Amino acid sequence: MTTIHRPATPAVTRVGAHSAPARRRRGPWRFWPQYLAISPFYVLFAVFGLFPMLFSLYLAFQRWDGFGDMEYVGLDNFKYLVEDDTFWLSLRNTLIIWVFSTVPMLCLALVIAAMLNSAVRFRGFYRIAYFVPNVTSVVAMALFFGAVFASNFGLANAVLHWLHLPEVRWLSDPWGLKIAIASVGTWQWTGYNAIIYLAGLQAIPGDLYEAAKVDGAGPVQSFFRITLPMLRPVILFTVIVSTVGGMQTFTEPQVMIPGNNTTPNTGGPGQEGLTMVLYFYHQAFDNNDFGYAAAISWAVFMIILLFAVINWRLVQRRED
Amino acid sequence: MSVTKVRIRRRGILLHAALLFGAAVSLFPFYWTLVMATNSTEDIYRFPPKLTLGSEFVTNVRNVFDSIDFFGSMLNTLIVACSVTVLVLFFDSLAAFTFAKFDFPGRRLLFGILLGTFMLPVQLAVIPQFITMAELGWIGDLKALIIPAAANAFGIFWMRQYIKGAIPDDLLDAARIDGARFFRLYWSVALPVLRPGLSFLGIYTFVSTWNDYLWPLIVLTNPDKVTLQVALSQLNGTHQLDYSRIVTGALLAMFPLVIMFTIFARGFIADLAKGAFKG
Amino acid sequence: MDITRRRLLQLGALGLAGTALGGLAACGDDDSAGGGATGGDSKELTLWYWSGGLSKKVLDGVATQFPDVKVTMAEIGGTFKEKLLTTMSGRSGIPDITGVKGEDISTFLAQEEQFLDLNELGFDKVKSQYLEWKWRQATTKDGKVIGFPIDIGPTGLYYRADVYEKAGMPTDPDEVSAAMSTWDAFFDAGVQLKGKVPGASMVVETTAVFDMVIGQGAKRFVDENNKFIGDQEHVRRAWDLAVKTLELGINAKTPGGSQDFNAALVKGTLPSVIGAAWLALDIRSAAESTSGKWRVAGTPGGPGNYGGSFLTIPRASRNPTKSFEIISWILNPDNQAQGFTDAAIFPSAPATYAMPALNKADPFFGDQVTIKVFGPAAEKIPVAYEGPNDAAVKAPFYTQLSNVEAKGKKSDEAWNDAVSEAKKIGERLGVS
Repeated sequence: MTTIHRPATPAVTRVGAHSAPARRRRGPWRFWPQYLAISPFYVLFAVFGLFPMLFSLYLAFQRWDGFGDMEYVGLDNFKYLVEDDTFWLSLRNTLIIWVFSTVPMLCLALVIAAMLNSAVRFRGFYRIAYFVPNVTSVVAMALFFGAVFASNFGLANAVLHWLHLPEVRWLSDPWGLKIAIASVGTWQWTGYNAIIYLAGLQAIPGDLYEAAKVDGAGPVQSFFRITLPMLRPVILFTVIVSTVGGMQTFTEPQVMIPGNNTTPNTGGPGQEGLTMVLYFYHQAFDNNDFGYAAAISWAVFMIILLFAVINWRLVQRRED
Repeated sequence: MSVTKVRIRRRGILLHAALLFGAAVSLFPFYWTLVMATNSTEDIYRFPPKLTLGSEFVTNVRNVFDSIDFFGSMLNTLIVACSVTVLVLFFDSLAAFTFAKFDFPGRRLLFGILLGTFMLPVQLAVIPQFITMAELGWIGDLKALIIPAAANAFGIFWMRQYIKGAIPDDLLDAARIDGARFFRLYWSVALPVLRPGLSFLGIYTFVSTWNDYLWPLIVLTNPDKVTLQVALSQLNGTHQLDYSRIVTGALLAMFPLVIMFTIFARGFIADLAKGAFKG
Repeated sequence: MDITRRRLLQLGALGLAGTALGGLAACGDDDSAGGGATGGDSKELTLWYWSGGLSKKVLDGVATQFPDVKVTMAEIGGTFKEKLLTTMSGRSGIPDITGVKGEDISTFLAQEEQFLDLNELGFDKVKSQYLEWKWRQATTKDGKVIGFPIDIGPTGLYYRADVYEKAGMPTDPDEVSAAMSTWDAFFDAGVQLKGKVPGASMVVETTAVFDMVIGQGAKRFVDENNKFIGDQEHVRRAWDLAVKTLELGINAKTPGGSQDFNAALVKGTLPSVIGAAWLALDIRSAAESTSGKWRVAGTPGGPGNYGGSFLTIPRASRNPTKSFEIISWILNPDNQAQGFTDAAIFPSAPATYAMPALNKADPFFGDQVTIKVFGPAAEKIPVAYEGPNDAAVKAPFYTQLSNVEAKGKKSDEAWNDAVSEAKKIGERLGVS
């Protein structure tokens, strides 16, 4: 196939430059194919994505118990939120769990990807073995990990016992509980991220490494000077997705922490496992306080947005 | 010379050892789940835990089949998962292609709104979504699961990144010169190149739809028409936690996914690597 | 122009959203939207319940008893209240008959317009057959009854006779009831147990004791006039008793109902569990291998009630008359007795207490006739007012107690924090 080289002008990425001048439309009508292309998505999105979002924003300024009338209360929900110690506790918990889960996960993923890149044999088997955890349902896995970390009969304590280390009451201890919750996410998503990194690694042309070797660069140097920068867009994707997903941790604490009829969905002893979304759920469906719950979720949204932007800035230092 | 060879071989063995260990950690829960599914609940409570397979599998499976309509709900889940995957692949790739390769007024704003919804807790949408479904008359119908899922922000985010890397502008230009207009560019030029990215998105969508729990639980009010995860949740009695039954149910539900994944994985993981990540 | 187009799109989106919201707000006020008319004679009905809430055998019998209608029994998993609430607020797909759990009844009482008055459908004529204090729990201030009682949860002390023997404690149920009739006596026995049987603990968890003591009283956290009473003597006493178990070291700190709890039941490190009659089913399914070693005695400090649900008829029911007939059949004394045999659902109809089905010797409990403990307990349960705001207001007490238990927080400090938080929450909800 012959490639025709056009002068690289910005016009290249703009549509509308039909070679045949048969129809030339004015203004935004030029873009009708684009709008049409995104419209199936956006129509669905408007009804099923945007509408709930706007409804919940509206709801955050009301008091509603799900049945009766909504009562307008202005900023009351938000004022209460700012002074709500439980909310700030849930924020702290969420952040700690997120760090416990995401940092090891992404580092491990990178290491695994690097190893997979070098290994030649059984590559297919490894890829499948590492990715398979992602195929399981979170509910099932949270139940499973709940059993692993059980104090009396869990596998975790059995291993500690075998290593002659003191046993931990995982689901009651503040740090143990967070580690237990974080480990579910780590187990499920490390392989997934590793595969993504692997793809990114394989896209890096080998000549770059050759050239570096010629210049006398060692493996560590080439890792930091070549690999990481080339991987940046991929890393950005995984960091953003992990941030957004990790800060919404809900299923693990809800399922793993033993239920109590009197105080359901409250994050266990001392509420150490209460994440923001779990707190939202508790307010909405246990306390029937939908207005306040909506306010909480918008606070969650702001916080996630903040962290996503911070992470974006950190990773994407130079936007081209 | 031979020293280097030995060194390379030793490094190779170390590498494989490390990878094998990781794979074992990754796969261990599956084995453990199998152990629990083949034992009775009381065996599971033993300490130190029993690590070997038991003989209760058939009993447990029979228990599960007696308690819930396993195959009926699996069929429903299959219908939903397949429909959603097809819709998502089509709508999302079309929209992502547009966002990635074309500039038009409002592009930034529209994309921004999209990313925004990504960040709202999913559970928040439950009540307004339910009300919408009530207005549309879709309560209890599988449509309620399929149609909203087609508007998948993650899918667009992923495809956009992928397209940016995988489709060079030259390719589009060449086609344009040959007279291709927008939809042709999408269908004949872009889609073939996007196959690896699409298979990744396809598998991901299929799996997450299969495992979706909260929304189907709420909206499928007709007990004869539920998905697998909803049916399984009935095994989770309020008071009793018959653990072996729950685990067996979860294992059976996972089975089709794992099989499907193993068949298609080689293909898509290999393809994924081919599709350059340059964006 | 570009700008016009974009502006157009934005306006369009806003307009769409605005209309939707407006429509929704209207829906929120409109009582008769969706739902459907009251009355009706549909031949197809749906009944919602949760696993273990009703006896499957009885439910199967409905088809034979009422051949002219088709009743679909929907066993709902997950959080029952969440699904019921969402469905009711969406006003679509609402069942014709639904269970409502005891702990949720006060919430739904606050929404009594969503339910039909069972008195008008015939409950008036049969209510004398059921424990008054129980159906009073589902009665509004105007006397409208929205819930037909399924079961009650009179408490008892479940104990492992073999472990008690090892600790040198009495093992016969009557002796145990007499020896441990007060909390202090119970705690003393706990200390004795700790000494003689290492690893075993008398008390499951701190909040369990707190809960139980509150349940033995006639007051909760909010009174009938919506006034906060959570800082009063009855609550403080419950608090102190709960904390005492930590000081005495007889507390296992194991969350009830968890897998650890189940495992401990099997192992015998939790030889005493104070719980409602339905707990027998839990113990049975968790610890089948310990059959024959358990007994039941009276609750230290007197019986309380824990749980006990209702069947209700939502206003949207498509055939209220038939629905009531079905409910009253499912919950007639004979079927309630069946429920007890099948699923340890303790009947709310006292007539059943003399029936043979309930007076059978239970091999799991070493051939003890457990109704001898629960029957009298059921009659002695004190009536207490539990308002819709109670659940939210009492939450800080439980949280702070768990702080004392898990994080070693000082009891007085935790108490003060609990009271002030509870007051704050109460204020928000309109409690004075």
